[in-house]
Order: sequence, then structure tokens, then C-alpha cells
Amino acid sequence: MSELTDLYQEVILDHNRRPRNFRTIEAPSHHAEGYNPLCGDRLNLYVQVSGDTITDVAFEGSGCAISKASASLMTDALKGKTVSEANSLFERFHKVVTTPPDQPVEDLGKLSVLAGVREFPVRVKCASLAWHTLKAALDREQIASTE
Amino acid sequence: MAIDRQAALAHEDAVLEYATGQVREIPGARIIGEARHKTGVLSFVLEGVHPHDAGTILDQQGVAVRTGQHCAQPVMDCYRITATIRASLGIYNTREDIDVLVSALDKVRAVFA
Repeated sequence: MSELTDLYQEVILDHNRRPRNFRTIEAPSHHAEGYNPLCGDRLNLYVQVSGDTITDVAFEGSGCAISKASASLMTDALKGKTVSEANSLFERFHKVVTTPPDQPVEDLGKLSVLAGVREFPVRVKCASLAWHTLKAALDREQIASTE
Repeated sequence: MAIDRQAALAHEDAVLEYATGQVREIPGARIIGEARHKTGVLSFVLEGVHPHDAGTILDQQGVAVRTGQHCAQPVMDCYRITATIRASLGIYNTREDIDVLVSALDKVRAVFA
């Protein structure tokens, strides 16, 4: 059961219970809807970019603990970042959750709690849905789908 | 060896009836689909727990269920839910399997308590 404890760490359970930035932003500069048709997880992501800086990020939607916690942690991590820093973080996060579990990964601070999904390949999409939605929002695509 | 179809169906019905009663007793559990003459499937949701999280934790305890929308999105909309946990029972399942499922579900509830 140790893999399970790695997956459902207290930080993840806490962000599932009390997701941060779980709200809408009126008329945001960027927005996208993320959808995982396989499980029905759906989230709306709102990003406010001023100049080149992300000044506010919020999300709403329904999903499992992993997808909700990942979205919550992501919104916390993005505030104050530039768009290029956000894009770089997307790439780095994606690498962390898709690297085989027996190989070392970069330490991404709080975001690293999601590295536990590597033991559960079927749950990687839960952790990456919010990030794919971010990418779609910043690239001005309306919909991100994990399929 | 031939399988007696009537006996097989009767066994499935008996295990389903037992499972339905046991799952109904779980606090926060709600059974989805209670047709009187349904086959050996038991779909349900647990309050405060997404079915996919439940599925992963059940899997770790050796219990295989299907979770998600089961390619039945309109039914999910009808019940105003996003997904269910579904145990499928066959002639090889026993009451003891159901007891294992129920105690594994206790663990799921403990993680999300």
C-alpha cells in the first residue's frame, strides 16, 4: 500500500477538500475548457495575463481528487509567473509525471507531490488535465482534451 | 463439465442481492440502477469520493471494479452524477468476495474521511 500513500498524500487530500482559486474570473484574457471524455472530468480554467505576467488564475469544474488537487496546485504555482515561465513549467511538470517511476525526476517543489501518479499510469491524465488546459488557454485554443 | 444455466443465474441473483444489501448499509453509498430483474451488476457512488479515486484504492486491495461513465453519459446526466463505481458479479463470485469489497470500501472512505 506504500504506492497508495505516495499517491494520496496529505497535500493532495487537502487540495481536494479545499481547492485553491476555485472560482471564475470575469472576462479573463485567456480561457479554456479541459475535458477527459474517458472519465467525464471537466474543468474551466481562467487566466488573467497583464503584460507578460500571469496575475490571476482560477478554475472550476468536477473531477477526481488527483485532477482537482493538480489544478489547485497549478493555479497556486502560476501566479506571478511570465507566460514563458508557465510554458516551461508545463513541459517540466509533464516530464515529471510521465517519467518511469524508477527514474529520478526534477524537484518541482509542491507540484512534486503529484509525481506519485507515475506508479498509476491510468491516473497520469488526471494529473495532467489542468496543465493541458493551461496550454490550450495560453495558445488560445478553446478546448483541451486528453484523448 | 456443463454449467446449469438456471443454477448459474440463481447464484448470480443471490450474490447480487447480498451485495446490494451490504453496499446499501455503507454510509454515504447510493446505488444507481435498481431494476428488479437486472443482471449481476452493482453500480453505486460514494458521497465525497470520486469513483476513479475509489477504483485506484480498491485495485490496490485486489478488488477489480470498473469506474467512470461506462459509455453511458446520458444516464449519468439523468442521475446528475459524473461517474459510478461498478462491481460486476459472475458465477465465480461469492459472498466472501462481497465482504472483501465492502471492507476495501471502508479503506476508501478512511482515505477521504
